[in-house]
Amino acid sequence: MEPRKTPLYEKHIENNAHIVDFSGWALPIEYTSILKETKATRVTCGLFDASHMGEIIVKGAQALDFLQALTPNDISKNKPGQLQYNVFLNEKAGIIDDLMVYNLGDSFLCVVNASNINKVYTHLCKVHLEGKYAKPENVEIVDESPEVSLLSLQGPNSAKIISEIFGKDINNIKYMHFVQLNFKNKNIILSRSGYTGEDGFELYCPNSIAGSLWDSILEKGKEHGLCLCGLGARDVLRIEAGYPLYGHEINDDTNPLAASLDWVVKFKKDFIAKDKLKKSEITRLRVGFIMNDRAIARQGYGVYSNNKIAGEVTSGTFSPNLDKFIGMAYLDKESSKIGTPIEIKIRDKFYKAQISDFNFIKPRTKRGL
Amino acid sequence: MSTLKFSKTHEWAKIDNGTAVIGITDYAQKSLGDIVFIDLPKVKDKVKALAQFGTIESTKAASELYSPLSGEVLEVNKDLINNPQWVNESAVDRGWMIKIKIENSTELNNLMDEAAYKNFVAKEAH
Repeated sequence: MEPRKTPLYEKHIENNAHIVDFSGWALPIEYTSILKETKATRVTCGLFDASHMGEIIVKGAQALDFLQALTPNDISKNKPGQLQYNVFLNEKAGIIDDLMVYNLGDSFLCVVNASNINKVYTHLCKVHLEGKYAKPENVEIVDESPEVSLLSLQGPNSAKIISEIFGKDINNIKYMHFVQLNFKNKNIILSRSGYTGEDGFELYCPNSIAGSLWDSILEKGKEHGLCLCGLGARDVLRIEAGYPLYGHEINDDTNPLAASLDWVVKFKKDFIAKDKLKKSEITRLRVGFIMNDRAIARQGYGVYSNNKIAGEVTSGTFSPNLDKFIGMAYLDKESSKIGTPIEIKIRDKFYKAQISDFNFIKPRTKRGL
Repeated sequence: MSTLKFSKTHEWAKIDNGTAVIGITDYAQKSLGDIVFIDLPKVKDKVKALAQFGTIESTKAASELYSPLSGEVLEVNKDLINNPQWVNESAVDRGWMIKIKIENSTELNNLMDEAAYKNFVAKEAH
């Protein structure tokens, strides 16, 4: 099947992007160089097309009850104008998808992974019809993904560019907060958030104005060292920040506690598979690792401790910002302590590494504003 | 005088007086992207035509390196191991990988000259 194009596809071609098929989407993997784009995002700023992501709206009188029942984080703490990280759990307490929930006041916007849009939408509709957690007439689910584009501007200079376009007040938006604005007579959502650990903004807009929004950011960005970034840089940046990616660190069988997502699990509220999760025994944990030698440990490679298999790599890359080969893995609990020496088998050779905190680069988001 | 020959798997071989210096082409480095890791054989190792002699990894993926010719390794570009970006910056010069003593010069007939390789790449790009 021909990969789908985002409304910004022509812009990518104009900018000589190297296009690849990413879960059914034709998107730039890089414009010039993944390493250059990764560095630029932490030094100046980078602009990403994330329009492949899914946007599902949940509304109605019992929208909150409905979402609360399907997720372990407490959405009631997520006030209008705020967004919150969460996961959809299945009945085995595995992760259907991870998501950001935007409280729009009268409804919730759930931003889900591109590869999971259909799975999540189907799951929500099924639970909705069963009427177990909310009366079907009190909940409405709408998949707006085909109409919505998502641009992400990340890095220390992002706020300068955004305030030049939308006004100085923008700088008062705190991390994990958002506003709704008017651009070209259309409503857009501007949130201070992202997938890099840097200060940054995510902009959701109707497809029809995605091109003008892209051009405006690019134009203002010229003086601030803006670099166009592809999915390659997006992946390195999220690994440097220790963020999980669906299909790598998390999947339908992942226990969120094993994924070191304890902070997302609130046992004080009720949710699907809560008892299973409470009783579950965690044998492996998500950790970070830093290679001692030059080598990329990729997904699926075996991790050894004291000559015995002790885990498996889920992501690995070269970090140009740390000048180190880093990654994430699941390790047997007893081998998961920070500093533990490990060996990773790469093409029949063993390479030395050690366990590290997975937040390789500490977040520089505007939490304290 | 040395001549430059090319393989279908995008390696080049600089032929000079019974020896060949081997690396990957500019086209190959461009499609691989930023090179971050290279694994090469040792001096005195034997390499075989069309067989793997090493591994190259970019930020995107790992790929095999195939030798265009058979022979014994005479020299290895050891500096390249710590400076893999040289392959991006200078694929046919500083980015050289190994030098071998050519074992069977009839294998040269399987390789392309520069004009033929350019044609081959133009076709592959479509």
